[in-house]
Amino acid sequence: MGGRGTMTQHLSEEELILHYYGETDRADQPRLDTHLAECGACQAANEQLRRVLTLVETAAPVEARPGFERDVWARLEPQLGGNTGSAWARFFWFPQWALAGGVAALVLVAFMAGRFSGGVPAGVAPDGGAVADASPDRVLHAAVGDHLDRSQVMLTELVNNDVDQADAFAGEQERASDLVAINRLIRQSAAQSGDAGVADVLEDLERVLLEIANAPADVTSNELSDLKARITAQDLLFRVRVIASEMRNRTRTDREAGDRLPQRPPIS
Amino acid sequence: MDERDAAVVAKAREGDREAFRALVDRHSRYVFSLAHRMTGNAQDAEDVVQEAWLKAHKQLSRFEARADFRTWLHRITVNCSIDLIRGRRHREDAHDPADLEQGPLSERGAEAQPTPERMAASTQISDRVNEALGLLTALERAAFTLRHVEGMSIEEVGEKLGMKTSATKHSIFRAVKKMRNALEPFVQA
Repeated sequence: MGGRGTMTQHLSEEELILHYYGETDRADQPRLDTHLAECGACQAANEQLRRVLTLVETAAPVEARPGFERDVWARLEPQLGGNTGSAWARFFWFPQWALAGGVAALVLVAFMAGRFSGGVPAGVAPDGGAVADASPDRVLHAAVGDHLDRSQVMLTELVNNDVDQADAFAGEQERASDLVAINRLIRQSAAQSGDAGVADVLEDLERVLLEIANAPADVTSNELSDLKARITAQDLLFRVRVIASEMRNRTRTDREAGDRLPQRPPIS
Repeated sequence: MDERDAAVVAKAREGDREAFRALVDRHSRYVFSLAHRMTGNAQDAEDVVQEAWLKAHKQLSRFEARADFRTWLHRITVNCSIDLIRGRRHREDAHDPADLEQGPLSERGAEAQPTPERMAASTQISDRVNEALGLLTALERAAFTLRHVEGMSIEEVGEKLGMKTSATKHSIFRAVKKMRNALEPFVQA
């Protein structure tokens, strides 16, 4: 390294770098301080170095691509080990199973039928009763529509109404928890059947539902405002409405198609 | 700790998969940016993100509840980045010890050079800085980032990267010189 000794020798770049980081050898420190105090050229070089290194700090970080979190989770989840069991086991275990009642049962029946569109007849109607000629499409579309309607109501209340009070928010959290498990099943079903548009909306819905369900009991009004702003910014309500409307149309189409079919003889 | 994190971390520690997912959703972008700063390319950064979350999941029971989750995660991410850089260094050492000194990890070649056209097209300071960082070798970048951004001493950086202090110092010197050459035109008084 250059710059040692006399006042006529300027400080080297290496010396300035170590000085900037406060890593100059203790023995060299007085010489450096004295030289810097007296040498205009080294002061200028030092200032220039400081500006460059400060500029580095001001640079915005490189951002991950949109949807990155989703991809991370998709890769991560299979590697996490089974402390919570399979998706099916968890679904049956959830206490909200009982609360979700008819809707979950309908989704499950339709899901078991293995299709998001098209399929063979199953035997459960949207009101939970057995109906011999209800197709799985009709059952599923009605169930998804019902789920989306419930989600819509909850999000609308959250966004438009004053739920800053702890009691009111606790109620929304309970509803969000109920909706999460059902949402996941429907989303998986939609993804498996290649209905990417529905799966995407349900993925975003699930993220928001999780956030609501997992929020602390003493959530602050600022945090709530942030959450509402995110729901609004994503156009989530609008997108849920669109899918719900599409499901209603599909249900109507299913019903009309079913009405045109000849009655099957009862199975004896 | 962030109150929202505290509640979710508590649930995640009890094995609640959805709570852990909420943490992944909330922090993955931050982890990615940090990993990218350390490694210098998106693919390596994504690998680091995965590894960091796996480690976090495995070590969650040891996480001190009063600590800040993001700070804890930050440390894990830095360590995972270092593991990746060191692992690659050892593997590449077997072929050519100078390999890591020849250019940026995954942007070697003429494309990585900030041509006048690219420099002129870029008006954002962040772009300029990131271009400049792209000129550093993997080791220079790691050493510089650990010293300049993470605030480790040169000796600590050397320990982390498995390098002698003098070699670490020279990596940092080279990094700063490159940054200075690339950025000086934008900080002229």
